[in-house]
Amino acid sequence: MYLDLYIFAALLVLGFFFGRLAEKKHFKSIIEREKKYRQLLTFSGRLLPPDLDRADAELVGGNVVISIDYFKRIAAGLRSIVGGRVTTYESLLERARREAILRMKEAAIAKGATMVVNVKLETSSITKGKGQQIGCVEVYAYGTALSPILA
Amino acid sequence: MTKYENRRIPEGINVSEEHPLKEFLILAFGLGTITALVVLLLSLMAGWLVHFIPFSLEKSLATSSFSTNTSSDVVLTSEQLEIEGYLQLLANKLSAAQHLPEGMEVVVHYVDGDTVNAFATLGGNIIMYRGLIEALPHENALAMLLSHEIAHIKQRAPIISLGRGVAVGLALASISGFGDSSMSHQLIGNVGLLTSLTFSRHQEEQADIEALQTLENYYGHAQGAESLFEILSEGDYALKPPKLLSTHPITEERINRVRHFNGSHVGRASYKPLPKFLVNISQGLD
Repeated sequence: MYLDLYIFAALLVLGFFFGRLAEKKHFKSIIEREKKYRQLLTFSGRLLPPDLDRADAELVGGNVVISIDYFKRIAAGLRSIVGGRVTTYESLLERARREAILRMKEAAIAKGATMVVNVKLETSSITKGKGQQIGCVEVYAYGTALSPILA
Repeated sequence: MTKYENRRIPEGINVSEEHPLKEFLILAFGLGTITALVVLLLSLMAGWLVHFIPFSLEKSLATSSFSTNTSSDVVLTSEQLEIEGYLQLLANKLSAAQHLPEGMEVVVHYVDGDTVNAFATLGGNIIMYRGLIEALPHENALAMLLSHEIAHIKQRAPIISLGRGVAVGLALASISGFGDSSMSHQLIGNVGLLTSLTFSRHQEEQADIEALQTLENYYGHAQGAESLFEILSEGDYALKPPKLLSTHPITEERINRVRHFNGSHVGRASYKPLPKFLVNISQGLD
């Protein structure tokens, strides 16, 4: 009985510190890379800019899976009793979305693209195991990369 | 080509700037308090409702399990029967000294086991282990033990804790069922456990006081009662849980209570020795 309590507390503390550390590091890296790749334009629109020169079109995608930590899970569990914004999951999804777009951009840059149009996002939770717990989230970003045709 | 650009999106739109611990602590303390209140309320109600369950009904609930237990599994030797008979006789005298209500009677079961323990259970049944009895120095300490258990019967403690266990267990299961994480169940479960332990601790304290009063009625004094707690603290109980997690009041407190109770009696009273056959079991085994 006491052991349960101690393990629970230890996991909670561990989850909090490591989770927070990982999140801080991740956000820092996301902000840096977003600045770096800002020149590569991305649009959610399906239609191309009307005055675009001839370009090669190719599918590019970026995929990320991020796991929640123990602390986030407990906090979300408590939140689910009273309702309201699940802030611990909001930051998780924000990281996943932005990371997926960044990876898609990286893929596009590798192909020499200057623009990605028709960008879409797909989200799915991967683990729905014991007790229907959401263990981690997957976000997939994909779009059509346009690379100028060099004459 | 027209000039397009992807502007920098400001931070903090989708992510709350609030420290996650703040939200967590508010939720944990809030829900913890609510859970504690629910458990407290249900525990109080269980204690109150139990008076509507007649003792005879409690007895019939217990009889089925006890009759099969004693007849098939354990066959007592003549020595053990002698000990059980002696314990029963003493229990009867102490029940009278404790003014057990009409229709409520105590049945003592002797168990030839090394466990240093004794407990009262449903239907006025008291289980006494050889392990504890043989460690007791005199009859006064044994009487303290028996009176404590008889006091639990008088409190209706076994059926109260059964009812409380069912009610609180159901309530906790329902509350935690709303969360989607089994870990929040654990948090709620632990709060519930701590609250109900506080309750049983109160019962133990009451039983100690009642037992001391019984000894006073029976022997004319309650000295020697502290020997029981000294034995309990020496034995395998050395691994003491912190007070918050313990059902029984910690030993020093119990011994102090005995001393306080005996404060008015200055002279040293004589202790009644245990009957010879009880002394023999302990010496033969040592």
